[in-house]
Parts: sequence; C-alpha cells; structure tokens
Amino acid sequence: MKTTLKLTLLASVVAATSAAQAVNIVSWGGAYTASQQKAYQETYKDPDSINFINYNGGLGEVRTQVESGNVTWDIVDVLPDQARTGCDEGLFEELDRSIFTPAADGTSMDDDIMVEVPNDCVVPQIFWSYVPFYEEGTFQGAQPETIADFFNVKKFPGKRGIHTWPQALIEMALAADGVAIKDIYKVMSTDEGIDRAFAMLDKIKDHAVFWSSGAKPLELVKSGEVSMSIAYNGRIGAAVLSEGEKFVTVWDGQVLEEEWLVLMKGAPNREAALEFLVHASSPASQAEQAKYINYGPMRASAFEIMASGEPWFHNGKTIMEHMPNRPEVMARSIIANPDWWADYGDSITERYTAWMGQ
Amino acid sequence: MALPIYATPGQRIWHYTYLAFCVFVLFFLVAPLVAVIPLSFTATPFLNFTPEMLALDPDAFSVRWYKSLFGMCDDVDDSASTMCHNKWMVGAGRSLYYAVISTVLATGLGTLAALGLSSEHMPAKRAIMALMISPLIVPLIITAAGMAFFFARVNLSNTDAGIILAHTILGLPFVVITVTSTLVGFDRGLMRAAANLGGAPAYNFWKIQMPLIAPGMISGALFAFITSFDEIVIILFIGGPDQHTLPRQMWSGIRQEISPTILSAATILVLFSIVLLTTLELLRRRSERLRGMTPQ
Amino acid sequence: MASNPPITDQGPLLTADGTPLKVSLQRSLRQNRNRAMLLVLPPLLFLVLLFVIPIGDMLLRSVDDKLVNEVLPRTFDAFEEWDKQSEPPEELFAALFEDLKAAEKVERGKVSVRMNYAKPGWRSLVKKTSRRLKRMDGPPYKEQFIKIDERWADQEFWLSLGIMKDRYTAGYYWNAVDRTYDFDKNVILQDENRRVYNLLWWRTILVSFIVTIACLLLAYPVSYLLATLPMRISNLLMICVLMPFWTSLLVRIVAWMIMLQQNGVVNDTLVWAGLLGEENRLAMMYNFNGTIIVMTQILLPFMILPIFSVMKTIPPSYMKAAQNLGATPTMAFIRVYMPQTIPGVGAGCILVFIVAIGYYITPELVGGKDGRLIGNMVAHHMQRSLNWGLAAAMGTILLIMILLLYWIYDKIVGIDNMKMG
Repeated sequence: MKTTLKLTLLASVVAATSAAQAVNIVSWGGAYTASQQKAYQETYKDPDSINFINYNGGLGEVRTQVESGNVTWDIVDVLPDQARTGCDEGLFEELDRSIFTPAADGTSMDDDIMVEVPNDCVVPQIFWSYVPFYEEGTFQGAQPETIADFFNVKKFPGKRGIHTWPQALIEMALAADGVAIKDIYKVMSTDEGIDRAFAMLDKIKDHAVFWSSGAKPLELVKSGEVSMSIAYNGRIGAAVLSEGEKFVTVWDGQVLEEEWLVLMKGAPNREAALEFLVHASSPASQAEQAKYINYGPMRASAFEIMASGEPWFHNGKTIMEHMPNRPEVMARSIIANPDWWADYGDSITERYTAWMGQ
Repeated sequence: MALPIYATPGQRIWHYTYLAFCVFVLFFLVAPLVAVIPLSFTATPFLNFTPEMLALDPDAFSVRWYKSLFGMCDDVDDSASTMCHNKWMVGAGRSLYYAVISTVLATGLGTLAALGLSSEHMPAKRAIMALMISPLIVPLIITAAGMAFFFARVNLSNTDAGIILAHTILGLPFVVITVTSTLVGFDRGLMRAAANLGGAPAYNFWKIQMPLIAPGMISGALFAFITSFDEIVIILFIGGPDQHTLPRQMWSGIRQEISPTILSAATILVLFSIVLLTTLELLRRRSERLRGMTPQ
Repeated sequence: MASNPPITDQGPLLTADGTPLKVSLQRSLRQNRNRAMLLVLPPLLFLVLLFVIPIGDMLLRSVDDKLVNEVLPRTFDAFEEWDKQSEPPEELFAALFEDLKAAEKVERGKVSVRMNYAKPGWRSLVKKTSRRLKRMDGPPYKEQFIKIDERWADQEFWLSLGIMKDRYTAGYYWNAVDRTYDFDKNVILQDENRRVYNLLWWRTILVSFIVTIACLLLAYPVSYLLATLPMRISNLLMICVLMPFWTSLLVRIVAWMIMLQQNGVVNDTLVWAGLLGEENRLAMMYNFNGTIIVMTQILLPFMILPIFSVMKTIPPSYMKAAQNLGATPTMAFIRVYMPQTIPGVGAGCILVFIVAIGYYITPELVGGKDGRLIGNMVAHHMQRSLNWGLAAAMGTILLIMILLLYWIYDKIVGIDNMKMG
C-alpha cells in the first residue's frame, strides 16, 4: 500500500510539473484504460508527457470544445459511429497516413488493419465483441458450437441472457437463421429481414433474462440462473484469464465492434500527440496491449508478434484463444455496421423495446 | 390503543392481526436498510449471508470493504481488473462541496422568499408560493432535461457552477416551506411593538424574528443539504467527468458490479441519515417550544 | 370653547407630523408591500432564470423544426414547385446540392439526424453524399447523386421532405403517442411493430396507480397506530418511517437489490426455510414486480406523514361519543373516523401519484425488461438516441399531467399546508 501511495504522490507531482505540455488522451476508464496505460504510456519514451482522462463517450464534449475554440483534449478513444460522424463534421483531424509505422514486412498501416478504414481521421485501436458463452459442464453430451445453438432452447435447455438494446442481437438472430455473414446487413435493410430476426428472437423470448450492465451476464451464468448468455468478450476473457473461471465462448456469429483513436481538430499539443499516436498504433504497442486485456488488436501484424510470443498474457497464460478477431474466427464474425445503425437504430430500438415489454 | 379486558376473542384476534400487520409494514420500511449493515462486513466478495456469517464466526467478517472504500488496498495486484482506487473519497469530497455551497445559497434565497411571502401585504402570494415549491413537484427528469439544453447554451454544463446552481434550485422549496411554517402564527404585533420602542428594523429582525425562524432555516438547510448530497439525475444530465460525486460513483457501481464496497458506503450513509434525522427532531422540538406550542 | 370646533368639522385625522392618517396608512402599506416584494424578488428571479426559462425552452424545442428549414431553404422551395407525382426533377437535386455545399459540416450532421426521423436512411444518404460534394462536377446533378447512392432515385426520400417543410411541427407529440405523419402530413398510426409509447404511458399510469394504492393500504393502519399510541412509543416508531425518508435513494435501491435478487436475502431465506425449491426462486427484481416493490417502499413515507398528521388532529372523544350513542366500534370507525381522515388520504395519494409518475432512477435500476416507465424513455432520447424533440414532447405531456395534479392538490390541500418531516 505504501508503494502505491508513493507512486501516486510521485505521479501527481510529475503531472503537475509537466502539465504544461502533457498530451491529454481521453478514454473510458477501468481495466481498458489501465491496459492502454501499460501498453502505450509505460512503453513510451517519455511516459510523463502523457495524461489519461476518463469520459462517458459521445461527441457532446468534443463538439463543445471545437466549437468554442477552447480545445483541451488531444486524443480521444471513440466508438465506430463517433469516429465517422466526428470526422464528417470536421471535429477530428484528417491525418497523413504515411507517418504511421508499417508492418515488419512493409505493409502500410491501413492495409494492415483488418477492416476497411472508414476515413483518414482514425488510428487503429482494438476490436471488442458481443459473443455468447456458457460455463463448462452446463450441458451434457453435445456442446453449443454455433450461434444457432444459442437460439435453440430445445437442444440446449435453460434460460438465455441477452441485453436490453437491439444492437448485435438482430445480426446474431439472422446469422442463426442461416443468413450468410456477408448478406446480413443487406437482409436487415428489408422489412422482411427484420421480421425474420424478430421471429428468431421470439424463440428465446420466454427463456430470456435481460441484462444491461457488463458484469451481469457473468453473474447470471455463474449462478446458473441462465445456461448461456451474450456478453462482452473482454469480460469473459478477464474472468477466465485472471480469475480462473471455466467459461466457454461460442465465437461463431459474434458481432465485432471497432474502437479507434482520433486527434482533436485544434489539439493544443498536436505534434506531441501525433508522435504518441504513431507509437500507440505500432504493431508492437498493439500486441503489448493484449498482454493486459483480451481485446483484439486491429493490426494483423500485431497478431504475428503475439502468436510467436505465446504465452503472451502478463500472468503467463495463452491469449490467442481469447482474441475476438483471430483469423480462425474472423470468417464467421459479423463486423458491426455503424452506418446501418445510424439510419435504422431508432426504429429498431422502438420495436425491440415493444418486443421486450410484451 | 390497549385492548379492553372485556374484549371478545374475535376482537382479540383482530387486534393482534392488526398489530402484526403494522409491524410488518414498519419492518418493510427498515429491513432492507438494516440488512445492508451486517452484509457490508462480509469477508467474501458476494452479496449474501454465508453460513459462517449466520453462525457469527468472527472470520466471516472483515473490514476489507471499508478499507477499499477509503482507498486502502492491502494487496495490490497488477492485473488490470483490480478495482482499487479512491473514487469514493473523491466523490464524497465533491458531493460535500456542492452540497455546502448550494445549501448556503438555497437557505439565503429561500429565507428571503419566505419572509416576503409571509407578509400580509404580498400580492399574488399563492401563485408565487406555488412557483417556489414547483421544483419539488416537477419530476427531476424534466428539470434535468430542461437544464441540460439551457445550461449547454450558456456554457454551464459540465461545470461546478452549473451543478451548484441546479442544486440550489432543488433545495429552495424546502427552505421556503420550513421557514414559512415557522412564521405561521408569528405575532406581527411583536415587530410593531419593537419598532414602537425605537429599535431599528434590522436590529428588530435579528433580535425577534431571527431566533424564531432559525430552526426553520436550519431544518430547511438540512433538507437542501441532503437533497444535493444525494442528487443523481442532474449530475447524470449536466455533469461532466469532473463532476464525479458520491451518488455518481454509487450509480456506476450499481450499474456495473455491486461489490460489498457499495454496501459499506451505504452503511455509512444510513448512519449519516440517522444523525440528520436526530438533529431535525431536536430542532423541531426547539422551534415548537419557542413558539409556545406543546411538543408533540 | 369656540376655538374647539365640533369633531365633525375637524377635517381628516392627522398623524403626529401632520399628514392625514389615511395617506400615512396607505404609504406605510405601500412600503410594506414594496418591502415584501423586494424580499421575494431575488429568489423569484433566480427561479425564473434557472428553472422556469430552461423548462420553457425545452417545451419550445418539442415543436421546433426550424433547423432543417434554415439549412435547406432552396431545397424546400424546389420541393414546393415539384408536383410530387413525377420523378424528382433536376431542380430539386440542384437545390439540395447548393444547400449542402453552403452548410457547415456540423449543420449537415444535425440536419441529417433530423431527416432520419422522417425517413430512416436519410442520415447515411446525406453523410455519404456530403463526403463527395467537393469532387462533384457542375450541373446536371441528378445523375451524379444517383451514382453516389441509388437511393436518390427513390421518390420516398424526396416525398418525406413534406413532413419537415414547416418551421414548427406537432410531429414529436404525435410520435409520443405512437402516431406519425404520412408524406402529406396526415396523422396516421405508427407502424404496428414500433408502437411502444402508448404501452409505456399506460404502464407508467398503472405503476403509479398500483404504488399509490399499495402505499395507502400499508400506510393507513400504521398511521392510525402511530396516531393513537402514547407519544413516547409513537415517536420511536416514527423513526422507522423517517429513516428511509432520509436515506439516500441509491442506498435504498442497493438494499432492495440484495434483498430481492435471485440469490438475494429473501429468496435465500425462503429456500432455506423449505418454502421454495431451489429451482423456483422468485423473480422479484429487474422486472415489473421489482419496480412496484421498491417504489412502494420509497414512497410509503410520503403517504404515512400526511395521513398521520391529519389523524393526530382527530379527538378520540368522537369515536367514544359515537360508540356511546350505540354504534359498534367498526361502525364508529367507518362512519365517524374515516371521513375525517379524507384530507390526509387525498393529500397522500396525490403526492405519491405525482412523485411516482415522473420516476426515473428506480425503474432504470430495478425495472429490467418490463418495469421501465416513460421517464426512462425521456432519458433514453435525451442521452442515447439524441432525439431531443421527442424527449421534449414526452416531457411536456408528463409535465402537463403533473401540473394538473398539482393544481388539484393545491385546491384540496393548499400548498401552504405542505409540511416537511
């Protein structure tokens, strides 16, 4: 305890003295920010020049800062929707792509990223996913292996934990109904497609237990209240890797979400922030982050570093099987389409809310 | 309430059923709060009574959650999932800061309003009174939504000043109500007599009216204080990451993971409420004594 | 004695300094009045500025549709020209091109969000097109637009402009009761699958009603006990009523969570006592039941206090007199005692109902799938979907309901009689 106290004191003194030119990076807090601090800040040439701040997401504060001209943040950690909207609205700076570190084999960063890069504002962070899981020993005989099994309460009896908003569930329901992964958003854009997804959801309606906070699904499965649940992959991984829980993840039909870093337009420490972004997006830093949290680096080359360095997790466990975007599972993964949700999110949410309450 | 000796068996049964029902209702009111207290001393990270706890085994109890509440961690493990930071204390400090300032503001403004409204010459008394009390009646979600739009426009959202002003509004009605009720039955002849005897108005106010309304002001201030200290909706709508109060910390704790740390915070808040309650009761008795009413 | 005329001739009564008494009194009255108004002014201004104006501002937002009209003026002019039957003409595309080009990037974003409420799809359509504006050649634009996204050929998008063409709209209010505009601005029922608000309004009223009744049933007997017990004991029991009242709302919610959840104290106790099988643990949390139970406990003191204070004033001799005159105790209670408690019951019921109807925090935390109320929907549209017009419209409807009840409360009880603690 004493050491922590000393460290905190030291850190605050350092922060106070270097506050003038510290790069402010805004992120979500908790275990996620902790992993960013370990992987990016502590490995940086000048760790004290970086200062992490927590926020609650959204573009509200970003807009206020840019519009008032009083920008205090430099780098922001954003969800895919905000990454697109913010870039379109000119809140984030479009970056020269050539300054970023290429992969070891010379592939440029943008080609190294495992999804299509939406615009020139974004710098790769991680993938996280919505994914079903269960506890080992829950089912006798055959074990759930596909997303269709999640929706099949006859074959795999017991209740199902699902979240109280429609994102990812619609995609999963269609995948379970046999729609090819690449056609999912095309099918979702039709009324029949949505009806089809809800028909699938109806099959688990009477068995559904709803959750709205990330820790709840683990509790539900652990206590046996449900036999399977959707959860954030990072939560499941943390329980398995750090607490030794025996949870099994069903990767088939998971829904992947992107997480990006962006540079604020008019950032007060632009040059220093750019340098830090280059450092944070390098394959080595990306791989380093996976030592502390099982979110998947966006860059393919980071995977090579991890695979050759296994066991990679900081406590000596292997990490690869907990990575949501490893090549083996990518083929059957749905990459969330924020544009689709921006268009149809409201109407689907209304329908989903009505469905839940019936 | 005692049962007469000549009561029939039927009346007896009815009487005891009735008493049992009342006990049940009172139990319903306090049981959850009481259950929190022993659970906050659990040695496990789970939220139920373990058999060891029921057997009163001393090893089943610990103060570890209180330690984590006050930001002391014995075993700092580097794994990123460990939650050991001092957000609780930071939050408590914030809440106290907002509550103290907004209470002072609300008490000042509320007392002015009550004094003016209790004057028999005040025009549109009823309408103004209704307006003064309306922050208590309008749902917080609507107040918060209205303020969120408006404060953003005047650069008050995500600022301490914005929260303090909003909390002052919420505290105002309590002070108006409590101070007004101490002025009910106040004999204005006293003020006139004092003026007649040559006292300056300010002197008369401090010497005659002030001691009478002081208990009302203090109890109103207590209500305003607790309202601000507990307030969560306004904070969620117009507070930024820097406005991290105790309720906000509890809110995120409840939404993410209910650890026994929340229970230890809850226990402290329950004890805190008992202190406030006692203070208020003593004040009420004093006020009634001063106004010459028999204590009830 | 001639110098001493009769009193009637004396003229007006004068005060010591010689001014007529009437004038002097009026002046003093005016002074008192001014002093009272001066005292009330600062708090009143404060309240108006920071409470009344913000809420008024929000109410305006519920009908405001100016933004889209200001950013796309040429488009709406061209829309008026169009016959709505034929294919959208080139002029319409050109007007939109000019408008988008002239608009700030941030405004384009805001406008596309607004347009998306009229027809889903607008948001990505405007975004995608805006990104390519710079690279577009001069007129004609129609082909170029359709090349960017084939949805531009879809008449429905253009027709949906009709919903937004006025600077003020009642559309959000219609949305708040599951209705919407068709492209000619006729009010029609919302698509069957999307009808959720009426359900929530009814649920909110139902929950408030059940909670009010439950509070009344629990509070009445207890208040009677408290009012009739000797003071020493009743003061002690009163602490049980007041303690929850003074405890943080979130603390009470947490307390209920550990009591009622699947592995909570109540279920554990029932299973341990053998009253319940391990398999059939009751679902009392994160649903409708949870909302009802927790809200009842939280609002119970609001019912007990007014009923208690009324009962306290009823002299016990009335009951005795009634019984002396031959009424049975039950009869005496129902015919003599209960009618006198009506003001307290009325006050308590309206108060509980008013508070319950606008609840947000409790249902948010314990409501789960079917225990959320309209307040939660307001918060959802404020914070998540950012459909502020709809949030404001729902807030306004809620506010009107509450002010109506507040007015009734004022008529029955009088707000000046409100007491605390």
